[in-house]
Amino acid sequence: MKLQQAVKPTRQSFSERMVEYGSINTDFAVFEADIGYSTYTYLFGKKFPKRYFNMGIAESNMVSAAAGMAAEGRTVVVSSYGVFLSMRAAEAVRTYVCYPNLNVKFLSSHGGVTAAIDGVTHQATEDIAIMTTFPNMKVLCPADSPSAMKLLDVALETPGPVFVRLMRDPLFDVYSEEHEFCIGGSHILVEGNDVTIIAYGDMVVQALNAAQELGKLGISAEVIDMYSQKPIDKETLLKSIKKTGAVIVVENHQKKNGLGYAVPHFLAKVDECVPFAHLGLDDVFAESGNYYQVIDKYGISSRCITEEVQRLMKRKG
Amino acid sequence: MSNLERDVHTDRVKRLEEHAKEVRIRILDMIYKAQSGHPGSALSAADILTALYFDIMNIDPSNPHWKERDRFVLSKGHGCPVLYACLALRNYFPLHELDTLRKFESILQGHPVKQKTPGVDMTTGSLGHGLSIGLGMALDGKLAGKDYFTYVLIGDGELDEGQNWEAAATASKYQLNHLVAIIDINRLQMDGFTDEVMPKYSIADKFRAFNWEVLEMDGHDMTDIVLTLEKVRLAKRNKPVCIAADTVKGKGVSYMENVRVWHGKVPNEQEFRSAMLELKGENR
Repeated sequence: MKLQQAVKPTRQSFSERMVEYGSINTDFAVFEADIGYSTYTYLFGKKFPKRYFNMGIAESNMVSAAAGMAAEGRTVVVSSYGVFLSMRAAEAVRTYVCYPNLNVKFLSSHGGVTAAIDGVTHQATEDIAIMTTFPNMKVLCPADSPSAMKLLDVALETPGPVFVRLMRDPLFDVYSEEHEFCIGGSHILVEGNDVTIIAYGDMVVQALNAAQELGKLGISAEVIDMYSQKPIDKETLLKSIKKTGAVIVVENHQKKNGLGYAVPHFLAKVDECVPFAHLGLDDVFAESGNYYQVIDKYGISSRCITEEVQRLMKRKG
Repeated sequence: MSNLERDVHTDRVKRLEEHAKEVRIRILDMIYKAQSGHPGSALSAADILTALYFDIMNIDPSNPHWKERDRFVLSKGHGCPVLYACLALRNYFPLHELDTLRKFESILQGHPVKQKTPGVDMTTGSLGHGLSIGLGMALDGKLAGKDYFTYVLIGDGELDEGQNWEAAATASKYQLNHLVAIIDINRLQMDGFTDEVMPKYSIADKFRAFNWEVLEMDGHDMTDIVLTLEKVRLAKRNKPVCIAADTVKGKGVSYMENVRVWHGKVPNEQEFRSAMLELKGENR
């Protein structure tokens, strides 16, 4: 699989598609928390000023207000950084959006340590754990720009709350425009027989690079982009691990209560016990620095995946 | 005396006072049957909600989702027996449902839930979010070109939550002139008098500082309530309105008035009987 260096981060592509979608759906509103030039929602504001509301640096108020507007039947896209949406506004998300199951969509930028340079205060490394725990919430994380644009449509067309985790930096384009996406979907990007590597967001590219390295070592890795973290694509997962007999989950997130907890939980319930490994932040905070240095130090780079899969192969025997 | 004042001095006020009496009786009765709830908080807002639900608000109980209706958000969600009593007495649901308050599988949850109770416009209960929710509703009305009013009833205690002031700024920014925040200033919160727990200073001045229009009223004088609420609907303005309502926690049941414990205490049998006698006016 050949990867193209991306020119845009997913936060930008998502917002650009939102502007296009604003002409298709002339009803939904966008709430921003004073980072519109960072999340690129200002583009929507320029084209649709009447439907764009800058609510200031007050995320919890913004989400409660979005709940109020959504209670009237209008869909609201709420934009901020993941670290603030998932924590500062968490109660409003849970009690006033998820409980009444309202049409509020979360454009959540700076997922994981992709805000590496900004340091821990701006790194959303618990957002998946928090958001997947709320009943009625759906959680998505696109790996690249084409999927981010497709998932904007999916989020707006799916009833109820949807949280979309986006990235700060441009990465690589994995998909072309033909690929389709849905809630609870996934894509097998590389087929393999020895191990299943499950990743999402920026980790997909790391997984693909690792798969290539592993190939050179004679290990055939299957790579699944599990872009829907809730619900997860159980069918594809089960089929894959029945074939490979080993699984590793890689995520730019705390290990605790991330996708790496959901996957073995499901497998254990269906009595599919295979060697399992999990890479993510190991109950630690990361730090400021260059993105690639940070992901390598905290154990989620392609190098780390390659090494961990080799250990996993030994366990598999 | 203006026409308006003459108007409210007639049977209109008397009728509303009778309804308020019935609302209070229902509040006590449902809390006693549930053996749980917040009588003091509900009683303090009884006259205001009665005026809204039986007179002021443009609503249609047979069509709770009517698009043109006025909206109501009970930010102090724990006071919901007063809301449930008004809704039941206005036939949003049968009166006998009041007997199921806080019980298993009831439509009347411990705090208001939009999707369970006909007439409840929005879920509330976690304090300090109601004004944000109300401003979202009012903003939607403005965007949709509708002229309904959104009323938010806020306890003075919950003004401790900073989000109220985020909402105050936002409502002001968007000139939400059909948003009305009514502050139920009973000067008591769960742990004691507001001055001891967290002084509120001048609530009216705070809202004025956020560029709101502020009116003050006696939250138990039906004439004053109706006059003030009417004034809000008639006058033209380009800012949101705050009504600072002077109230008494536990109003109507003398042993509950201004007594901290009745925030969330259930009367025993004897207390219940004496409260009912007092509310029905039989011991006066």
